[in-house]
Amino acid sequence: MSDTLSPFLLLAWVSLRRAVRSRQTVVCALLLAFASLAVAAWSLRHGRSTQEFVEQIVLPIYVSFLLPMFSLCYATASIAGDREEQTLVYLLATPLPRPIVFAAKFTAAFCLALLWTLGAWAVLTLLAGADGKAVFRPFCPAVFWSTLAYVSLFHLFSVMLRRATIVGFVYALFLETFLGNMPGIVKRVAISFYTQCLILDAGTKLGLSPTAGHEPALFLPVSGHTAWIVLCLISAALVAASLWVFSRAEYA
Amino acid sequence: MSTPAPVAAIPAVAEFAGVSKWYGPVIGVNDVTLRLGSGITGLVGPNGAGKSTMIKLMTGQLRPSLGHVRVGGLSAWSAAAKSHVGYCPDVDAFYEEMSGRAMVRLLARLHGFGRRAAARRTEEVLDQVGMAARADRPLGSYSKGMRQRIKLAQALVHDPHLIVLDEPLGGVDPIGRVELVELFRQLAAQGKAILISSHVLEEMDKLADRILFICHGRILASGTLAQIREMLQEHPLQVRVGADRPRELAARLLACESVRGVELEPGGALLVQVSRPKSFFAALAGLVVDEAFEVHRLQVSDASTQAVFHYLMDRAGHV
Repeated sequence: MSDTLSPFLLLAWVSLRRAVRSRQTVVCALLLAFASLAVAAWSLRHGRSTQEFVEQIVLPIYVSFLLPMFSLCYATASIAGDREEQTLVYLLATPLPRPIVFAAKFTAAFCLALLWTLGAWAVLTLLAGADGKAVFRPFCPAVFWSTLAYVSLFHLFSVMLRRATIVGFVYALFLETFLGNMPGIVKRVAISFYTQCLILDAGTKLGLSPTAGHEPALFLPVSGHTAWIVLCLISAALVAASLWVFSRAEYA
Repeated sequence: MSTPAPVAAIPAVAEFAGVSKWYGPVIGVNDVTLRLGSGITGLVGPNGAGKSTMIKLMTGQLRPSLGHVRVGGLSAWSAAAKSHVGYCPDVDAFYEEMSGRAMVRLLARLHGFGRRAAARRTEEVLDQVGMAARADRPLGSYSKGMRQRIKLAQALVHDPHLIVLDEPLGGVDPIGRVELVELFRQLAAQGKAILISSHVLEEMDKLADRILFICHGRILASGTLAQIREMLQEHPLQVRVGADRPRELAARLLACESVRGVELEPGGALLVQVSRPKSFFAALAGLVVDEAFEVHRLQVSDASTQAVFHYLMDRAGHV
């Protein structure tokens, strides 16, 4: 165990350090800067409410855009980046079992993505003032679990596709948004749907409208507990699939 | 943990047993069986012959569609087999922001060395490849030759039994080439098996103990250059002989069974077409001793890797 633990930690640390210094960090910083400007402008309005903050900022800007983008930036670059730079050969030439290589890369990408999603959540809610403060802590679990699900999904892209970032970008912008807003149960294939369900479930406990602007008959939410279970299962299934693909794939 | 557990003595360094590899409908390697022992083996073949596929199979980057590739008795694909293999890839890629020293040390640690052992081993191999004093700059600022040496250092850092080098001398200056060839010789003398793929055929003459000629995914010939040359009976060996009485010597040589023809060149040298080199050289030695011919030049003109390569490609129908 200690034979693999030390290389695992080292590889995770090196991957994390390289990802911090990558262009993905610049992209994330720019996205956060734009979102912060939007929230700062919103917070100057008079007569705003927590309900409006959720409807106008949290769901359209944070949940539908920032959260998948932060996850996408680091997760797709994790292994596909090494493939593109042709440095994966060095890692695969070591006696580290491939699942360990994958786990180290996944850990690094997840930690960094989580840092960005939770950090951005903290920044945006801080800028929103009292309305933001009210929802910061209750919505944190939704941020955590959906980050995990997105990072798992984009890692599958990363182990399967050389151009994982482009495919992930198209998926996040079009399929997640499109499917997540479809009426009926079709939206249940989108991660963003379960994130919204978790957020709306937590919002109900704060006295916010459970559907937050969605027509209940069209939105058909699942309970927060169900959404949590689904996100956990999706993440586990995606990680297992990625591990299986990565362990068998020929990257030469 | 200071150093990885010692690798058990290995029965055969590397072995291909009936190995074929397809890429969809295209065959990369076709029913190859070979054993790789200690010493330097050159892998030679035209573009698309299957050299890269063989190297990737041997380093466990590809799995055979049929047959088995074993390194140190283990499946080359397995993680454990990678302890036996040092791989210097032909791609010129690194973690560019790292220094050469940091990159080699990182890979030493990923090979299971502890912090101190990795640092010590890194210094040893950097010294071996002549980079100890120059390895602190970021890799992105290195010349091609320096990058090549770092690639070599990372391949050697875990002291593998099998060292696979894909174009290891590309971009290295002439003095550096001599140093690295000397290093390869030292490693071979230590009992390492070294497989070198190179497009520069002249290098193989000086470097390789054995040559594997590959074309269309098949091994056309393997062995020492002399052994392979001897097999090519339809291409008689050309031996240039300079002697004091060339016409008389020519007449004598034509009487030998192993001589197919003799041509007198303008400079007075004889160009002898030889079918069985061993018996020819014995006969020539006999003539020199018995009839006091004074031979001042004896040169085999087409037994180089390049010449043998062309004959083999001719035979394989690959022009």
